Amino acid sequence: MSTATSSTFGERLRNVGRQQFVWAIVAIVLLLVINVIKDPTYLSISYSDNLGGLRGNLVDILRASAPILMIATGMALVIATGGIDLSIGSAMVIAGAVAMEFLSASGSSSLGTAGLALLLALLVAGVLGVVNGVLVSVVGLQPFISTLIMMLAGRGIAKVITGGQNTTATSEPFRWIANGYVVGLPVVVLLAVAIVAVVGLIVRRSALGLMIEAIGIDAEAARLAGVNKRAIIFTVYVAAAVLGGMAGVFATASVMTVDVSNTGNQMELDAILAVVIGGTSLAGGKFSIRGAAVGAVLIATLDKTVVFLGVPSSATPAFKAAVIVILFLIQSPWLHTQLAKLRSRRTTTPTTAEVTA
Amino acid sequence: MKVSVRTRRTFVAAAAAATMLTLAACGPGDSGEGDGGGDAGGDGGTTTVGFVAVGPEGAWRSANEQNIRDTFTTDAGYDLKYAPATNLDQKSQIDAFTSFVDEGVDVILLSATEGSGWEDSLTRAQEAEIPVILIDRGIEPDDDSLYVTRIAPDNIEVSKSVANWALETFPDGAKYFTLEGPAGVSVVNERNEGWDEVVGAESSFTKVGAQTANWSTDEAKSVVETVLKANNNDIDLIFAQNDEMGLGAALAIEEAGLTPGEDVKIATIDGTKGALEALSEGRLSFVAEYNPLFGDTAVEAVTSALEGADVDSYIIVPSTTFDSPEAATEALPDRKF
Repeated sequence: MSTATSSTFGERLRNVGRQQFVWAIVAIVLLLVINVIKDPTYLSISYSDNLGGLRGNLVDILRASAPILMIATGMALVIATGGIDLSIGSAMVIAGAVAMEFLSASGSSSLGTAGLALLLALLVAGVLGVVNGVLVSVVGLQPFISTLIMMLAGRGIAKVITGGQNTTATSEPFRWIANGYVVGLPVVVLLAVAIVAVVGLIVRRSALGLMIEAIGIDAEAARLAGVNKRAIIFTVYVAAAVLGGMAGVFATASVMTVDVSNTGNQMELDAILAVVIGGTSLAGGKFSIRGAAVGAVLIATLDKTVVFLGVPSSATPAFKAAVIVILFLIQSPWLHTQLAKLRSRRTTTPTTAEVTA
Repeated sequence: MKVSVRTRRTFVAAAAAATMLTLAACGPGDSGEGDGGGDAGGDGGTTTVGFVAVGPEGAWRSANEQNIRDTFTTDAGYDLKYAPATNLDQKSQIDAFTSFVDEGVDVILLSATEGSGWEDSLTRAQEAEIPVILIDRGIEPDDDSLYVTRIAPDNIEVSKSVANWALETFPDGAKYFTLEGPAGVSVVNERNEGWDEVVGAESSFTKVGAQTANWSTDEAKSVVETVLKANNNDIDLIFAQNDEMGLGAALAIEEAGLTPGEDVKIATIDGTKGALEALSEGRLSFVAEYNPLFGDTAVEAVTSALEGADVDSYIIVPSTTFDSPEAATEALPDRKF
């Protein structure tokens, strides 16, 4: 970290290698290369008059990563405080259920109704976050338990909202959120990137990010140092739920259907995975929004690659797991220490500096 | 000190969570059943029926379970205890099943979320002399000595009807893609089996691939979007193993600038209202019904089982097919699911 004095090319390369999400980028590139080998036109992007925007596999990957970007960002913040949010998938289905039920009940497809549906969906998802926040920060329950309860209850609430049915609605403006284009670019991607950027700026340009990390390192010490622990933890859970709600809007607007048992199902695991791939420690105290974003894109790339290569469905989970395990191995400090040892043995000058690296 | 408080909090929370689960498992219809145990004769007027159900999964399942609940009414002399699974989790089903056995209900109806892993539970029910009737979903391995009967539409027959339609519609063969449910589920295996039996024998039919979309519309849309690109839109037919995935496929095809029903035909199984609407608009091309309304058959089976009469180990529920927009439009007004 602090070896700023030695800046030879190799040294700098090794520092980049220690940035965990760099390996995730390498993995994305490798997956893309595999796809290109299967079909040389894989990366081609064309303009489609039918859609009014760009079309191509890369565009599909970005569109598929939009919901994961949302939940991974929220999850990164929660994990940084030393917590975890298992109810993010439920926030998704609740938001989707509220939006679809509202749109189908109103029967209107005006812009105003769609906007109201979006607001309402985020609001109700936010309420789920408020409950999480209160349970964790005020009541002092363990995050794992509180959010596990909300995960189960949340899906139940979504089923109550839709009466246990998968609800469909028609609203062109709402559909546009997930399927529309602005100057040839998919709206859903622009929205997702903008939201991640705003969250990233807020936490990194203010002291908020530092305070979140301080709580994750030692909550009591942070409190004694004057950090308003309760308020920050509360905010983080609400933010995660609202971001989850946005992801739910993306997922349901894409097909204009909420599927009460499948929408957002197990997405919390994707979010945790994206966060960890991006180099955020599950122990808390450190986070990288940029890393989580890269992790989200990697997961989407992996999902799309499996389909593009035609991996048989029974082998899909194993294929994905293999990629992730290899990635984690490459990222692990253990492997880097081993490599460093090997290297120092070969150069015959065993310096103590290499050991600490 | 601090630690102990924390541990206690965790414990309380875990207990709360467990209570919620149990409550969810019991669900409605659990009203005041004081004298459950003792003699499992059921001759005192009302018959207690424990229904280990799947819970909200889609329109088909809702129709099926509602139909069962509407048939086993108090008026008909039944006390139905409805226990839907928590998030399609098999563990919660096994728990519900075990508590029904312990309670000593007269009959258990079981719709398993997963086929395997039921031997122990079914053996316990057998030891307690509680007859078990499988509703829709079968068990694996299929040991029919462990249950009285399985009542279900025949998945293999239903998917064969889709396959036969495909052969008629594409006499010169076709390139097709299959959208499957989650890998390993018995429904998926059976729907594949029926299809492969008919289509697999035709060399003119080329299987482009198969992928799971977990019964879900948005996953199916995402899968088909990529499959079309991987094959330069050169796909004639998509066999979706449920309606929801078929509807997702239609959306992806439209986005690719093609017309579902013309450029790519979609055949689905289930026959829900949404699918029939899409069929009447020509967005789907063929819908095979998988009839969920067999509460009456279940009542007959329960009666025979309690009387100790012989019941066939498999009762097939008849299903129909819809092959044209007209047929769908005709059936829509009194579609129950």
